[in-house]
Amino acid sequence: MWQIIRNEWQSWMRNRTLLGISIGFVAILCLTIYLGYLQTEAQSERYQSARQHLRHQWENNREMHPHGAVHYGTYVFKPINLLSSLDEGVSSITGNVLRIEGHVQNEIIYSEASQMQANSKFGKLKSSLLLQYIIPLLLIFLAYQSINSEKQSGRLKLLLLQGANPIQLVLAKTFAVTSYGMGLLALTILSYALFHLSQISAEIWGRTILFFCSYSLYYFIIAGFTVFLSFRLKNTSLALTSMLGLWIIWTIFSPHILMSSVEQWHQLPTREAFKKAMKEDRAKGIDGHNPRDERRKELEEQILAKYEVDSLSELPIDFGGILMQADEEYGNEVWDKHFGYIREVLGEQKQSYQLGGILNPFISLQNLSMGLAGNDNWHHQAFLVQAETYRRNLIKTLNDEHAYGTIKEGDDYIKVGPEFFQSIEPFRYQPVPFSATFPIYGLNLTLLIMWSLLAGLLLILGTKNTQIL
Amino acid sequence: MKNMTTFLYEWKHFVRSPFKMLALLLFIVASVYGLHKGAHVFQKQRAEVEKMEQKVEEERQIYLSAYQEGLFVPEDRPWVDMRTPLWAIEYAWVYHYKVPSPAMVYSIGQSEQYGFIKKITRWASPYDTDLAEEIANPERLQTGTLDFSFALLFLSPLLLLVLVYNIQSMETEQGFMPLIEVQNGSKRSWLVSRMMFYVLLLCLVNVLLISYGATLTGVEIASSLALGQVILYSFAYVAFWSLLYFLILQGGKSISENTLKMVGMYLIFAFIIPATVSQYLSIRRPASLMTAFLDAKLDKRWDIWDQPPYDRQAQLVELFPEIADSPLLRDTTKLDRAIRESTSALENQLQKASIRPVEEENEAKNTFIKRTFWFNPVSFFQNRFNSVAQTHYDDYQNYRDEIQQLVDVQIQVLILDMWADKKVDEEQYVKYYEILRKLEK
Repeated sequence: MWQIIRNEWQSWMRNRTLLGISIGFVAILCLTIYLGYLQTEAQSERYQSARQHLRHQWENNREMHPHGAVHYGTYVFKPINLLSSLDEGVSSITGNVLRIEGHVQNEIIYSEASQMQANSKFGKLKSSLLLQYIIPLLLIFLAYQSINSEKQSGRLKLLLLQGANPIQLVLAKTFAVTSYGMGLLALTILSYALFHLSQISAEIWGRTILFFCSYSLYYFIIAGFTVFLSFRLKNTSLALTSMLGLWIIWTIFSPHILMSSVEQWHQLPTREAFKKAMKEDRAKGIDGHNPRDERRKELEEQILAKYEVDSLSELPIDFGGILMQADEEYGNEVWDKHFGYIREVLGEQKQSYQLGGILNPFISLQNLSMGLAGNDNWHHQAFLVQAETYRRNLIKTLNDEHAYGTIKEGDDYIKVGPEFFQSIEPFRYQPVPFSATFPIYGLNLTLLIMWSLLAGLLLILGTKNTQIL
Repeated sequence: MKNMTTFLYEWKHFVRSPFKMLALLLFIVASVYGLHKGAHVFQKQRAEVEKMEQKVEEERQIYLSAYQEGLFVPEDRPWVDMRTPLWAIEYAWVYHYKVPSPAMVYSIGQSEQYGFIKKITRWASPYDTDLAEEIANPERLQTGTLDFSFALLFLSPLLLLVLVYNIQSMETEQGFMPLIEVQNGSKRSWLVSRMMFYVLLLCLVNVLLISYGATLTGVEIASSLALGQVILYSFAYVAFWSLLYFLILQGGKSISENTLKMVGMYLIFAFIIPATVSQYLSIRRPASLMTAFLDAKLDKRWDIWDQPPYDRQAQLVELFPEIADSPLLRDTTKLDRAIRESTSALENQLQKASIRPVEEENEAKNTFIKRTFWFNPVSFFQNRFNSVAQTHYDDYQNYRDEIQQLVDVQIQVLILDMWADKKVDEEQYVKYYEILRKLEK
């Protein structure tokens, strides 16, 4: 088998057209990594500068009442992921800026896609674009050509007459084609590593290795199916066109149909319905800014009883801060319910889409690719959850200061200034650990392995029943 | 005559090829699905707008009856006085919508990246967080919606490829070509006749699909010409690919070679060129984080409020010279309040100034994309379809401009009436609603 693989590689190396195409591909792949690197640098620079600017602004805020600071709020930015050079996923679709303030959980806004007219339906020139869409096509042609040339020259019959095992032959051809794809893949990963050498952690290595394995499995499936059809069908042109048809269905047709259908099966609420439902639920709770609110009176009585005093003026604390925090906590329950529901529906949509991998291995690969690059919706939601946790802690700190802080001499009310603002930690996004991603992408990986086994089985069983001679 | 026979004979070739028939069927299924998807988004957005309009009307009626009954101070809001322009305008409930076009059935375009309902207040701006887009799965947005324009732009070249990939090369491989040349006289006219069959077939299918789409949302030719434009662009697009494939087929000698070249062309035009343009653009002009606008919303906004009231008054007089001899100047309590409530006009100026560089940057990106159209035809056609469907970036930019215009009008009316110490009655309230919704053409 090794001999056949080696022969395949030797014949490819002798083929000038293929050699030219291969060199071109390697150059384009390295270029995409370099361009991705430049983009990551440019975006990171903009991110760092915006982050520092906002932080500087926050730390040097004028003196104000803590509740003033709750309304003043700040903004957090979504950092660019190091693995974006490989697969950008949903990053250009989702927003980059999130407003952090009291009384409301805002949504992330100002996506890159909304800042210009439509241009590319398949995203930017990232490695994933070439690895997912274009290299499989090259492998189809290579695998088809590999069997077709043997058939046309009559070498196939000769080899079998000489006692070559047909199963070994097709498996070797499949492995040879797969190894070609893996070679391009390895070069991509290597050039990625070279450009990001100083920043690569064990976490990123783990993700990259699985990234490599997922694509390798997919390439084996593509190569296996093409070799099987080319070997099995008498009309090799039909084998090629069938495989191209399959490529169209797998990569262009079914992901779009399935994704759109999944959104119909698990429907998200409309923006207005979502806002209305939250407003209604919010209205049932305490309203910190409405002095006539009944629930506010209840809380007032509880606090007066707790401190064993008769009026708010006798309290050793500022009731306003307690009230605002109670308002906030009720609001948090409402946001958890409604934003939680959205996350739940999105989770269901993802799961249904992942199950599409049973019929289409490309779906599993696509999910794994952007998931391992940390740029899928699941990672995006993780960012939003962390940002929301930060918002809640920030607002609680301000409300606590409002309630329990002390009024300085000469002031009429509590004020917080730069010293206080500096004591509040900035938002730092903690990337989701690689280990946490396994339960999410296990299904995709399993399905890719199943497809690879199916391709292997087809090759073995299909070859056994084929009469060449 | 020979060419006509070849043309007509192609039908037999076509119906005897299950692979080609299946490809056509799949294209039709995808297109019909895309048309329904477009119609669904159109109907959903229209329903949302109608629902909001109804809600606004109901709210307005409540306030209108309050004016009729002389109840100017709501029981639960003692601080409100609806006789003042400030509260009357607040309760005029002005909303502005990006009403979807029925032509959206053909292209959802960028409609899912922007909001389409906006409440107009004196504090509003076209980049407010409440103008967020409809809730959607980002992975679906990234994968791309399968609408009709997607089917046309990305599936029809593949369909054409499947329909024509073996023309001439099959005959060459089987050694029939000399015979065909003898029988037909010209190899080129024979090839043109055969190709024309599939080109016309695809154009016919497109016309039927476009007509079917028109019935889903009621696209009227007379009112928008959208139907005619979509048909025209679809023909031009098919013609572009046909020419490209024709050139490949004309010189090709084997099926696999032709297929490889055609698929290569498809990948270059549909994937590589647009993706490279996008990548280049994101390096030259990375996504804006809107820091200038955020500054205006945070720090600089407070700088305005930190100014002494009479400094703010001077700036307001500069903006609205009509208020220089306002009757409020004689009443300091009223004057202080008027300055406070009018400060939104200064904030509005600040916001507009901060938005300008953002929009200029966006415009620069758009200009760059437009400059690539001569070698980026798929992107060109994609934007043409979006334009026809009114789901193009420019349509949403117009919507944002209209929002800004309405905010400006609201601020102007508020300040002029407030500083004139105008009292609002039922008639004035109704008038406000009309004035504050009116856009200058």
